[in-house]
Amino acid sequence: MSTELIAAKNLKKRYQMGEVTVYALKGVDFTLYDGELVVMLGPSGSGKSTLLNIIGGMDQATEGELYFGDKGLHEVGDRELTLYRRNEVGFIFQFYNLMPNLTAFENINLSVQIAQDPLEIDGLLEQVGLGDRRDHFPSQLSGGEQQRVAIARALAKNPRMLLCDEPTGALDLPTGIQVLKLLRDFCENYHKTVVIITHNTAIAEMADRVVYLKDGMVDRIEKNAHPLPPEKVTW
Amino acid sequence: MLWKKMIRDILSNKGSYVACLVIVIIGLIVFTAFSIVSDSLNLSKDTFYREQNFAQGFVELVSMPEHNVERLSRVEGIKEISGRVVREVRVNAPEREESIYLRLVSLDLSDSSRVNDVRLLEGEELKDRELNAWVDNQFFHANELEMGQEIEVVAGGRAREITITGMGMSPEFTYPLRTQTELFPNPEQFGIAFLPLDTMAALFPDVQGRVNDLVFTLEPDADFDRVKDRLEPELEQYGLKTIYSRDDQVSHLMLTEEITMLETLSTSFPLLFLSIAGVILYIMLKRMVEQQRGQIGILKALGYSDKEIVFHYLSYALTVGAVGGLLGGFLGILSATPLTELMLEFFNVPEVYEGFSLYYLMSGLLLSLTVFLISGYHGCKQALRLKPAEAMRPPAPVLGTKNILEKIGFFSEMLTIQGKMAVRNLTRNKGRSAFMFLGIMLSCAVVALTWSFNDLVDKMIFYQYEEVEVYDARVTLSGPDARDPVERELEGHTEVARVEPIAEVPVTLSHHWQEEDVSLIGITRESSLYNILDSEGRRVIPSDKGLILSERLADKLNVSVGSTLELESPFLRDEDSSQRVSVYEIIPQYLGMNAYMELSGLEELLGQGKLATSFLVNVNNNENKEGGISLLRDRYRESELVAGVDGREERIGQAAELMETFGVALYIYVLVGVIIGFSIIYSSSFIIVSERSRELASMRVLGMTSREVFSVITFEQWFLSFFAMLAALPLAQLMQQGLASELSTDMYILPGELSSESLFAAAVITSLSIWIAQRFALKKVRDLSLVEVLKFEE
Repeated sequence: MSTELIAAKNLKKRYQMGEVTVYALKGVDFTLYDGELVVMLGPSGSGKSTLLNIIGGMDQATEGELYFGDKGLHEVGDRELTLYRRNEVGFIFQFYNLMPNLTAFENINLSVQIAQDPLEIDGLLEQVGLGDRRDHFPSQLSGGEQQRVAIARALAKNPRMLLCDEPTGALDLPTGIQVLKLLRDFCENYHKTVVIITHNTAIAEMADRVVYLKDGMVDRIEKNAHPLPPEKVTW
Repeated sequence: MLWKKMIRDILSNKGSYVACLVIVIIGLIVFTAFSIVSDSLNLSKDTFYREQNFAQGFVELVSMPEHNVERLSRVEGIKEISGRVVREVRVNAPEREESIYLRLVSLDLSDSSRVNDVRLLEGEELKDRELNAWVDNQFFHANELEMGQEIEVVAGGRAREITITGMGMSPEFTYPLRTQTELFPNPEQFGIAFLPLDTMAALFPDVQGRVNDLVFTLEPDADFDRVKDRLEPELEQYGLKTIYSRDDQVSHLMLTEEITMLETLSTSFPLLFLSIAGVILYIMLKRMVEQQRGQIGILKALGYSDKEIVFHYLSYALTVGAVGGLLGGFLGILSATPLTELMLEFFNVPEVYEGFSLYYLMSGLLLSLTVFLISGYHGCKQALRLKPAEAMRPPAPVLGTKNILEKIGFFSEMLTIQGKMAVRNLTRNKGRSAFMFLGIMLSCAVVALTWSFNDLVDKMIFYQYEEVEVYDARVTLSGPDARDPVERELEGHTEVARVEPIAEVPVTLSHHWQEEDVSLIGITRESSLYNILDSEGRRVIPSDKGLILSERLADKLNVSVGSTLELESPFLRDEDSSQRVSVYEIIPQYLGMNAYMELSGLEELLGQGKLATSFLVNVNNNENKEGGISLLRDRYRESELVAGVDGREERIGQAAELMETFGVALYIYVLVGVIIGFSIIYSSSFIIVSERSRELASMRVLGMTSREVFSVITFEQWFLSFFAMLAALPLAQLMQQGLASELSTDMYILPGELSSESLFAAAVITSLSIWIAQRFALKKVRDLSLVEVLKFEE
């Protein structure tokens, strides 16, 4: 049995939208383990992005407990959450969020310089297949290439886990497959945890476990006995 | 509906709008208030001059029979002329520590069209052959005098009681200064008393039937210089000292200079401020139109016309313009009255308050609306070009490029990744960077210039009384014959440690066609109480062979060291002759405009025996100098030989006291500079944060602290500000030189050099205002919602 990385206990999240209170999470319990690839599935409004943001230290729950190892993330301040994001988490977004005025290499370097035990940048660029594009600015790269730079930037910090919010949402199938393969490789080669949230059910086939969210709660968790290699996934 | 959107948009970004509004308001306060004040002063001055028949020409001479005045009125070009006796006396007030002087000016009661007539404010008509006088209102109030009160003066060696029967004011003494080296009127110690002509004769038997001063007005088309040329030969025989026009009359000069300065400030200052506010608003609107691209698309899709959309965005600018214009205008009108009162403390002119001025309120509003209409239109015109479908698509991605600065090898290597981002951001929006650069440069230059006023005061007053005139007291002689007896007496007093004679002689110096009337000061070679200093602060020993000239005098005469000058003086043994004398040295002088010479050399040049007009004295008791000076003053309280004893410390004290009033004004100017710097950085930080919120949030998600993320913006701002402040140095220097040459007069010379202290202070103050503005923007970065910003495509 792998060690527990994240443990969520009865997590609740409420937003006040003007005069209306929105319950984004209504009591979520689940655990993430070291080195697994988890896909969270659910329709829009099921609370998956909220959960990912809370796990990633970008937001905090209104109620409940969240542990990273034995550290209670629900009770720390802004400063510690920043350190947590800095040292333990890598984020990947649907819309890449690269710095437009930094080259591919410099975008990655941006995260390397604040990391404690970073990976080597040029090696990463080779790994994501952009060795020859290192000095290109984002506006000179395709969407898939930009997402690969974003992945390399997230990996470069050598975080314990990678949190991906619809990483293939803006990409075509072949490019999306390339990106998923990178995520799977990172998970296996470095024994890191990868969480992907998506509403694309096909991606769930490559996961070790699938967490189904519905209406702000965990509907069910399924374990994949035989995850498909990313190349075999199709949608 | 769109109005509501506009108001909500403004409220959601109120900080930047308030910053913009503050600048508009300051600009318009100055516009309205200064315009009203200068109008009031002008109106007051013109009425006063007209009603009191203010002279256009002034003559000082030794003595002339009174009946000759009538003959002079027939000189071509002269309309009216009045002969007067003008004498200065000491007021005998044993209870007062300091010396008090009155300048007695005679009034010919038989003359119904007196030139330089006095406006009686309170009291009764003067009576012939009685010891009665009107005193000027400032002296009257400053010394808390009462009607019918008697004041004792020392006249002709005798103490005489003069009854005050009236209080009035004269256009000749709107800014009464006792000596050339004074900068401010001091009504507690110096006033004007107006007496009947025959009363003067009773006080001073030597002027019986004679006058020593003439004032005249000119025929409408007459030229002063021609009249002067016609008068000179007529007056030579009476010991003509000087003839000067109204333009050189001290009070008139100071008053008109002040009005001109107010007029200049009332246009240049608001234009500068409105331009800055206009540019800030332009940048803000431009950014808003970029940001609200989608909304513009929807409005267009709904069927709103281009005109309606542009008007909507213009309404932001016009709202700021109208609110700022009205608020600034009203505040300006409100501050005009206290400002006029402040002016009236310095200038003794009749009170004229133009309370409410619809004209300036409306022109201010119009000015502000025009500036904002232009800047608003340029800011939002891009909204016109967008097609609805295009508007709803995201804008083209930002093109990343390296810029020229990165081509500098070592510089590029020094930069961190954040540094690189900052440097590239500089060229990302060149217009905005240029505005920030210019704004910070201007702000820093304004602060430096203002701060340098402190040095200026130092130079003008403290330099004069702490470096140049270092005596403890000056004993002024009542006449040339007093030198020997007074010198012997002074040397005999136990409290006196050192005595030096000094002679101040009126001379006319000419070089080709340039001619200047100045006071030539004769100082002993070994003088240690009056130091003539060169530009390096080294003592210059006066020569008996040539003159030392102040820089301004040398400039005006167009001479350099070695040039030869023609010298004329009523003190020359042969008054009709002139002497040739060379220029020995040229020195800086900030107060007054003089020539200097070694005393015995001066005596020889003039063909006179031993000459002195005053003695400079150092008192013995270092522990209690005040006591020593006081003792000395008591000794000469009723002396016929001594006209007055003045302590140097008193003058420094008075100057310092007056400077405090100015200090407040200076701090206001410094504050203005700070506000410019602050507003520029504040609004540009906000725009940058809004424009780059996605990038900043991405960095936060990577695990950087708000401070680390913010450092990208601050690095960019500091980088730009550093060079802007460097550029501010020559700008401030240029502005200072411009101001110095514009504002310097024969009475005071503003130094053209900025001190390093004021440059340093400007850099510190500007940096501080930048730093404070950044703290506000840092809060905005802290409050960035990471989730919101990153979730959606831009």
